[in-house]
Amino acid sequence: MSIGFVLPSASRENKEVDVAIIGAGPAGLSAGIYAIRAGMSAIIIDKGNAGGLAEEAPFVENYLGFEGIEGEKLAKLFKEHAMKYVEISERNEVRDIIMENGKFVLKAEKGEYTAKAIIFATGTTHKTIGVPGEKELFGKGVSYCVTCDGYFYRGKRVAVIGGGNSGAIAAIYLKDLGVEPVVLEYMPTYMCEKAYQDIIKEKGIKYITNAMVTEIAGENKVEKVVYKDRTSGEIKEEKVDGVFIYVGLIPISELAKKIGVDTDNRGYIKVSPKMRTNVPMVYAAGDVTGIAGQIIIAAGQGAMAALTAYEDLMLR
Amino acid sequence: MGYIGDKDKEYLKGEFDKYLKEKVMLLVFTGDNCQYCNVATALGQEVAELHDAIEFHEYPVNGEEAKKYGVEHAPTVVITDGDKYGGRIRYVGLPSGYEFSSMIEDIIDVSRRTAEVSDEVKMQLQMIDKPVRIQVFVTPTCPYCPRAVRTAHRFAILNENIIGEMVEAMEFPEWANKWNVMSVPHILINEDVQFIGAYPDEQYIKYVVEAWKKMK
Repeated sequence: MSIGFVLPSASRENKEVDVAIIGAGPAGLSAGIYAIRAGMSAIIIDKGNAGGLAEEAPFVENYLGFEGIEGEKLAKLFKEHAMKYVEISERNEVRDIIMENGKFVLKAEKGEYTAKAIIFATGTTHKTIGVPGEKELFGKGVSYCVTCDGYFYRGKRVAVIGGGNSGAIAAIYLKDLGVEPVVLEYMPTYMCEKAYQDIIKEKGIKYITNAMVTEIAGENKVEKVVYKDRTSGEIKEEKVDGVFIYVGLIPISELAKKIGVDTDNRGYIKVSPKMRTNVPMVYAAGDVTGIAGQIIIAAGQGAMAALTAYEDLMLR
Repeated sequence: MGYIGDKDKEYLKGEFDKYLKEKVMLLVFTGDNCQYCNVATALGQEVAELHDAIEFHEYPVNGEEAKKYGVEHAPTVVITDGDKYGGRIRYVGLPSGYEFSSMIEDIIDVSRRTAEVSDEVKMQLQMIDKPVRIQVFVTPTCPYCPRAVRTAHRFAILNENIIGEMVEAMEFPEWANKWNVMSVPHILINEDVQFIGAYPDEQYIKYVVEAWKKMK
């Protein structure tokens, strides 16, 4: 077990700022640093911990300057860096946004925040796969977070559904914990980066392609995953004690939509190259824009959004 | 060398200076054959040293004080005013990783003698007139867990019939197994009503009220 310490930060006062940043993942934290350094006042508000989904990444090997670092550690570094500049209010969910006297009023759990501009860095959440058994067995073997629940399966066998980068990293993490993972990928080939393919092969992790999962089955707890082999049409199964689902992400854009921000048909916020949305003084950055789902890109977009907000607010 | 780094200490000191008001007691209950008891004690001491308002005590888990605070496992960390909060705001197992931040926030709320919830939730909390025990099973690497722990603790701060207890599932695997904990946060109320996930207060309180109603 780890004896690391994550520090809290919890603003309790109502505030008036130039820019309110919703979401404290890599995009929001980076936006916060750039906003303050540019000379604006800002606050970052997050319904959970600072760090975003990066916190859940067991290992990150493609962030510049870090050959390999746990997502949790990288998120902590981001947060501590941002905390030097900007106030981060954690576990503070923004529930509603209204317009008042030409400004945005963010109604959150811990207070009200008035802002001239908003940056949505609200990120994404895990997608469900929608097969029988997934909902029924959630918490009884079905999970979406290996760093949270991987421990419970030490010495056991689990399926990782989805063989993209997230699924591949999850499988590698599980293997290192002493769990025996088997990856089920829908597409005919490896869907993760070559670097992960190599580790998967080296560690002897079973990676099944062309597998269309049709059911997660078990009595009161997960016992097996049933899938259709897309090449032969044959119905097959893997006996497992747990299932970790990594089949993609869905954007958290409801609040943005509510104030008239345009999204694409999947719900990702549409942005210009400078991170403007269709609503004046409203910007978006990071995974909620659906561009690449990469930490380094989110951080870059956050910086861009803050610089554009500065341009629109201060240089006009 | 201590467990908390100098930089982190400096930050925590600043937070405590800003927010601490009245005295807070940080109690660590320890026992024999306890893998993380030494760490819990050292950690408690290090945190208490950061501000005068925090008072640290270590007690044996089989002693009088443990009985007084309703503590049965080691290590258990209790954050209290020594009076009306009793042993109701507690951590069974080491509050490390993400839970360290929960503990710091608890210290601040206990010192302020209050916690934030919406008026709607406050009204529902006022109904709870019988003892309700909320247990939150966590792992230290679960980023969603502190929210669930803090909700239980905020409810405990606001209602003296509520006990909010974090249970570290890795340190107490048999306990976690007993309740089939396979995903965290796993919330167990009165050893009866259960749910999984870090829900907002408004949903969380519904489960608490459900458990309370079943007692009638």
